[in-house]
Amino acid sequence: MNAPGAPIGLSLPRLEAGEKAIGTALYTGDMVLPGMLHGAIVQSPHAHARILGYDTSKALAVPGVRAVITGDDIEFRYMGLVVKDETAIAKGKVRYIGEPVAAVAAIDAETARRAAQLIEIRYQPLPAVTTIEEALHDGAPMLHEDFAKYAKIYDAPVGRGNLLAHSIATQGDPAKGFAMADVVVEETYTIAAQYHAYMEPCAALAAFDPSGKVTVWSSTQSIFRTQANLHECLGLPMTKIRCIAPRVGGGFGGKSEATVEPIAVLLAKKGRAPVRLVLSRNQDMTAMRTRHPGWIRLKTGATKDGRLVARDCELWFDGGAYADDSPAVMNFALYFVRGPYEIPNVHCEGYAVYTNRMRAGAFRGFGNPQMTFATESQMDALAAKLRLDPIELRIKNALPNGARWFGGQAVTESTLVEALETARTRAGWDKPMPPAPPGKRRGRGVAAMAHSSAFLSTGAIVRLQNDGTIAVQVGAVDIGQGSDTALSQMAASAFQLPVEQINLATPDTDSAPYNSGTNASRVTFMVGKAVGEAAFKARDQIIEHAAAMLGVKRDEVSLAPGGRVVVTGGSRHNAEVSFADVAARSIWAVGGPVIGSSAVMASHAMDQGHTKMSGWLSFEAVGIYTFGAQIVEVEIDEVTGAVEVTRAVCVHDVGRAINPCATVGQIEGGFAQGMGYGLCEEMVFEDGRLANPSFMDYKIPSALEVPKTIECVLIEKPEASHPFGARGIGEPPLVGAAAAIANAVADAIGKPLTRLPLTPERVLRALLAQ
Amino acid sequence: MTETRFHAPERLEDAISLLSADEDARPLAGGQTLVAMLNADLLSPSQIISLHRIKALQGIERRADGSLRIGAMTTHAVLARSGDLRGAHRLLGEAAGRIGHEAIRNRGTIGGAVAHADPSADYPPVLVALEAVIEAVGPKGKRVIPAAEFFQGFLTTALNLGEIVSAIILPPSPAEACTHYEKFARVEGDFATLSVAVALWGGGVRIALGSVGPVPVRSAEAEAKLFAGQLSDGAIKEASAKLVAASDPIDDVRGSADYRRLLIPRLVKQAIRTAQAKDAR
Repeated sequence: MNAPGAPIGLSLPRLEAGEKAIGTALYTGDMVLPGMLHGAIVQSPHAHARILGYDTSKALAVPGVRAVITGDDIEFRYMGLVVKDETAIAKGKVRYIGEPVAAVAAIDAETARRAAQLIEIRYQPLPAVTTIEEALHDGAPMLHEDFAKYAKIYDAPVGRGNLLAHSIATQGDPAKGFAMADVVVEETYTIAAQYHAYMEPCAALAAFDPSGKVTVWSSTQSIFRTQANLHECLGLPMTKIRCIAPRVGGGFGGKSEATVEPIAVLLAKKGRAPVRLVLSRNQDMTAMRTRHPGWIRLKTGATKDGRLVARDCELWFDGGAYADDSPAVMNFALYFVRGPYEIPNVHCEGYAVYTNRMRAGAFRGFGNPQMTFATESQMDALAAKLRLDPIELRIKNALPNGARWFGGQAVTESTLVEALETARTRAGWDKPMPPAPPGKRRGRGVAAMAHSSAFLSTGAIVRLQNDGTIAVQVGAVDIGQGSDTALSQMAASAFQLPVEQINLATPDTDSAPYNSGTNASRVTFMVGKAVGEAAFKARDQIIEHAAAMLGVKRDEVSLAPGGRVVVTGGSRHNAEVSFADVAARSIWAVGGPVIGSSAVMASHAMDQGHTKMSGWLSFEAVGIYTFGAQIVEVEIDEVTGAVEVTRAVCVHDVGRAINPCATVGQIEGGFAQGMGYGLCEEMVFEDGRLANPSFMDYKIPSALEVPKTIECVLIEKPEASHPFGARGIGEPPLVGAAAAIANAVADAIGKPLTRLPLTPERVLRALLAQ
Repeated sequence: MTETRFHAPERLEDAISLLSADEDARPLAGGQTLVAMLNADLLSPSQIISLHRIKALQGIERRADGSLRIGAMTTHAVLARSGDLRGAHRLLGEAAGRIGHEAIRNRGTIGGAVAHADPSADYPPVLVALEAVIEAVGPKGKRVIPAAEFFQGFLTTALNLGEIVSAIILPPSPAEACTHYEKFARVEGDFATLSVAVALWGGGVRIALGSVGPVPVRSAEAEAKLFAGQLSDGAIKEASAKLVAASDPIDDVRGSADYRRLLIPRLVKQAIRTAQAKDAR
């Protein structure tokens, strides 16, 4: 698997650390092309309105303006992952406040911005529905009159107004299960919209070449999803669309699908020049995406000895004005309705609803953080009612190895019990906490979690270069999490080379094999797997060449560190050739260039006999299940209700840490973002208008809020299906964080809070209500 | 197309004449609000008049009567660390140290912050509590305005067209005064959900609240009750009731008006007790 000395398990510095530290890293917004124009957008002031017409004359009269585009410049062509319901720019109607409705290209950004303000758009305001409840009223205005006609990849609830998706699943016999229960707990959990808060706002640069092919550099999590969306909404064949990702400043799910690329392409076409469009923070916060807000009603039955016997769940997600990933996110949330536990009887129904609000989409955890907040809060409520230790209750019900996941797939390796026990020991769970200082209350809480890694397909091409170094082509974008380094380490390991001898190509749809995206905790797992498989194929070819060159049999040579193939044993013992020698033979004499390629896809059948599901997207490609546990200590200020997280212990099964430092970084960052979700982050919408569209009013935790040390413990049980033993860790650290914090707060004040975020005001009111 | 012109005069008179000739011109002090507003497209001034080269706006000076004249271009970072702030004046340094983050404090100035008059900013309640005087310079010359009259409403001050804040003058303070600036915010660096500025000395109690109304809230009755009741729990309770009555908070993303009213007695008590504890040290 991994040869000694190869760079797996080493905390090598990020390959791009230097350029990021000194500021020379090239992001989309830093790129300049000759003759490049600057774009600016106009956003809808209405939550719902018909567009009656445009007057662009004043904007076009501004010196320096080269193009104005509106809905009149496009046809009704739709893009979308699961429902094709979105045009390149608003056409016919606007459906949320902030929706891009026109755009300008001009010789500089200032001129473009000023000209954008001069575009006059005539609207006929329509009644808006800005909450789930309003959207479902009889006679509520429809956002998408053509919903029935849209292309969809799931069984959608056509003819039910603004209902976008409705999914049902049943396992076992829930009625019988509840009849067996000695105790039943039921609660409704309310969750808020969170902003992705990536450091780099959405940005794209589009340039047509003389042949009519457009190249798009953008801040994206997926060059291939960008290409697909551009193809769908603009009608260009993929032969005429090339997508490239330069450095990307974060994504967290918000850049999984198209952002501003379609607008940049339209402007570049009409302006006959390259156009760069970079959103301001305010525009990004009002035009792009949120985590799904909504509510979850959850009911659980258990026997008096603490065995979970039945669960019932009803989940409602506000999807906003366009479907984006909503049906998938809602389904994924339901997929975790049991948490990481064995519950034999389950019924759940989930709904996603169109509303006149900015779309909700993929966001680190993909519905699981919402569900885990509900399920793990409920586990503590149950533990309290049963007078059982919360960790004991969790261990008692932990899904064992070989058990079936909700939906019927087999779980090959469950490390939940190990994670819980490790966290318990590390946090000193069985010992009392030191007493709280005067005016404070102290609490401790746990959350267990599971998540998947894999989802969808990918490929890799690995080539031996003339000088004996290795070129790796993948379509995966490093969005700041460090996958370029991890993939290079894996490739280097396969060839026993130092990482400096690996050239990981910039993601480019013109040269990379397909990859679905940097999401679903999948790059290290899936792309790493593809790199490994392709590298091993190339390595086999190198060995074959070397054996022929050395005049020995294949099994008489082996790879040696530093790009050599050495004879082991026999009369030619220690004779060797270099990778460069092999490359020369392959390209000048025999066999042709050394190229290994691979195509991988996770596929595990669902089982309708185990869980009966309707209205669901397929989860056959969901991949492997990964477990973890977090314990959090909090201090609550009795004067204000403010919650301080004083300690966090995060135990996660990572299979094998390819780069332990980067792995720990993922866990720390995930926990911090989960802390924001739990304590302070909430996009406040008032009649569809975002009340806090800036970092002045929307607050994420800073270094001053997170605990000084987030104690990360890695469980390393190499994953059998991965060539280097890795599992994904991008999302798991966030998934349970809010739940662990909520349980710690409940412990401190003696009462659970069921609404996120746990603002000081909500906590103080709960304290005073006692 | 309008263009924004930039000037950086060395003489105060030149800045004033540029500003008074054009109501769309804006003075630039530390830029911590102005530049953010420009970036957010909330403001498009015709001219930006930078004040950073004007010597008359700089420096901290202790005057013969014991009062302190703080030049408008003095940064929050300088005030947070200044040894010139003694007695009740320390309240100003405490508040300066709680503004935004270090990078903001290194650029932001007291004159800019005071002229902006954000009701949730940190200086206004302190200046009202200390009975500071705002020195303004305009086309008609120099005048002084008591802080309580200077802050007139949300982002609204007593400044006239072409006038800028040139200095903040803190009246003499008893050396034995003890102070506390209690700021409660969602996270470090945020604007206050509620702030309480307290100064105590043998002959007096001063207390003012920020972020619970369009201007800082101070109540003579509240201070009288605190003084008469010798800062007992009962006196604090009564005084807090007066302050709640004088406040006019709004609902916003930092907290509801009700929550702010709920916090007033709790944080007033905490601020007073903390100030006293500092005195005991």
